[in-house]
Amino acid sequence: MFFAILVCKILRVVAGIFGRGSSMPGKIALKLFPDILAHLKYPDTVIAVTGSNGKTSTVEMIAHVFRAGGLKVAYNKEGSNQTEGVATFLLMDSTLGGRIRSDAVLLESDERYMRRTFHFFHPRYLIITNLYRDQMTRNGHPEWIYNIIKRGLHDDMTLVLNADDPLVSKFGAGREGTLYFGADHLEDDTVVNDSIYDDGKYCPICMGPMEYEYYHYNHIGKYHCTSCGFARPDTRWSLTGTDLEEGNIVINGEYKIPLTFNGIYHCYNTLAAFAAGDLAGIPKDTITKALGGYFLKNGRIVDFKLGKCDGRLLLSKHENSVSYDRSIDVVIKDPKKVNVMIIVDAISRKYFTSDSSWLWDIDFEKLKQGNVEKIFLAGKYCNDLAVRFEAAGIGTDKIGVFESISDAAAYAGTQADFLYVITCFSDKEKILSLVKRKELS
Amino acid sequence: MKATILYLYHDFMNLYGDNGNVRILEKRLKDQGFDVEIVRKTVTDEDIAFDGVDLIYCGSGTESRRAVATAHLKRFEKAFKSAVEAGTPVLFTGNSWGMLGKSITTLQNEKIEGLGMFDFDLKEEIKKRFTGDCVATAEGFEKSFIGFINKCDVIEGFSGYMFKIVKTIGQIPYEADGVRKENLFGVSMIGPVLVKNPFFADHLVKVITERRGATYKEIFYKHEERGYEMTLRALS
Repeated sequence: MFFAILVCKILRVVAGIFGRGSSMPGKIALKLFPDILAHLKYPDTVIAVTGSNGKTSTVEMIAHVFRAGGLKVAYNKEGSNQTEGVATFLLMDSTLGGRIRSDAVLLESDERYMRRTFHFFHPRYLIITNLYRDQMTRNGHPEWIYNIIKRGLHDDMTLVLNADDPLVSKFGAGREGTLYFGADHLEDDTVVNDSIYDDGKYCPICMGPMEYEYYHYNHIGKYHCTSCGFARPDTRWSLTGTDLEEGNIVINGEYKIPLTFNGIYHCYNTLAAFAAGDLAGIPKDTITKALGGYFLKNGRIVDFKLGKCDGRLLLSKHENSVSYDRSIDVVIKDPKKVNVMIIVDAISRKYFTSDSSWLWDIDFEKLKQGNVEKIFLAGKYCNDLAVRFEAAGIGTDKIGVFESISDAAAYAGTQADFLYVITCFSDKEKILSLVKRKELS
Repeated sequence: MKATILYLYHDFMNLYGDNGNVRILEKRLKDQGFDVEIVRKTVTDEDIAFDGVDLIYCGSGTESRRAVATAHLKRFEKAFKSAVEAGTPVLFTGNSWGMLGKSITTLQNEKIEGLGMFDFDLKEEIKKRFTGDCVATAEGFEKSFIGFINKCDVIEGFSGYMFKIVKTIGQIPYEADGVRKENLFGVSMIGPVLVKNPFFADHLVKVITERRGATYKEIFYKHEERGYEMTLRALS
């Protein structure tokens, strides 16, 4: 083991010099000593986070809270969330004798590889954020991922679940000691789900019809099954209020946290981070203070200037309709007149696919709203987008279709209205290389 | 003139943006001069009328949902089969055409009876999912079909396939795929197959129009055609 850890540390330094990937040293260490992760000495606080959306942001926030609480934290900062990446950061943090130096370990865990990692050691807590239609070309579908995660659970792990997502809260059914977080009735809730599809319409346990008292967004809300009685469980950590005007949220009726970015996503990530801090024994006032004004520096939002217009990139995920829906919400809530550019050029940065079926799950119809002046569809799949927008009933007079992203940018730059760009990691640099970035305000 | 699309399990078997097929058909039928009615039926409905319907559509679902939908559709087996035999256009995309065989053995190893229209037994495979882009050819169609397959179905010893799969990118072990009977098409590709393959949408709309005794108008849909061209090139 000593040797494998040493090799990992040396390789990490070498890899750093050559700018190589973050999981390579762990990969080699695992080859040398396949069950090395089972032999490390872990601190008491080991928390893993998995789910479709929000893993990286949630882990970053938990790390911030832990540090504010005086804990030394080890986590996979670079988002390398498969077993090799996990091995790399754990071995880097351990002594040559195999003891983790930090007071707490945080793991961002890929849904599909979690089971492999947890074969070697079990986190004390597993936080599951949500299960959405996400990268289905790799993931199959949410229920498929549910079954994969389920096979990675062990009795000594306490689950900390998003109560508002029925497929996630199903993990807690019949499992004692499960803890939940979720949002109470909020001002912006709706009583109908008017998204393109509704993954909460049928019970994930018995397939009976479900009823919702309210929806926070998509199928996230307060539900119960009319057939078997499965229902949103009570929560230990609750979002009891949001004041989006002032940009505050309130947790458990007393902890008021000002947010720098108040999308509902961010509220859930903040709530999960609050729960993790509480579980690690950090005083709630310290957590509240740490989360207040916490600024996520992960490039999810980039402000820029392009020709005559100011703009903002809302980083979304291709193959993830919920993430697009949330970006669209940001656009239509803006009181200004705006233009929107949507870029779908490379569907993934990790693999090739031409699958654009997910465009038909996104609620582009919402862009019919009055504040949206023009829409530019750009990239290799601009034609797929154009067909989707035609079906949405958005007139061709409002739409520009550009196979070349630089042509789209050149045209957009001649317009004075504020420009929102919605695209994914795989395509963001293609537009950001053409604009002048600004500091976020 | 009115055209009616029967959208089966619209809220239950709609996993991969399959709704796009119905939306594109609706648009194209309107362009042919039809008033279009979409009748949506799902697993909680007690009655489904197949008479006088111009096209029947069903999309992809999770394995557990497909089992429920199969048992439900089985209740209407006779009427469904009569509609198919009468030449009603039917499109089942993704994993839904698996419902039309003799049986499905589910992930839980439960064997459920299918509609029995095709001579195959299907087994769901828990260890692996077959996903990837593909290019396929079919008799009667000059152009190649393109799309994405995403399912865990294994069928052995069946020879009545409609497609020959000529190219795949990803993990797809199938060499032949899909079924056809009269105007029924079972296609493994997921999502808006009719958007991705505009010539196939043309074909179905032509059949619907001519079955109504109307004259089919050739209409050129530039974004669909250009999108098809670009994706085919990317896959070649």
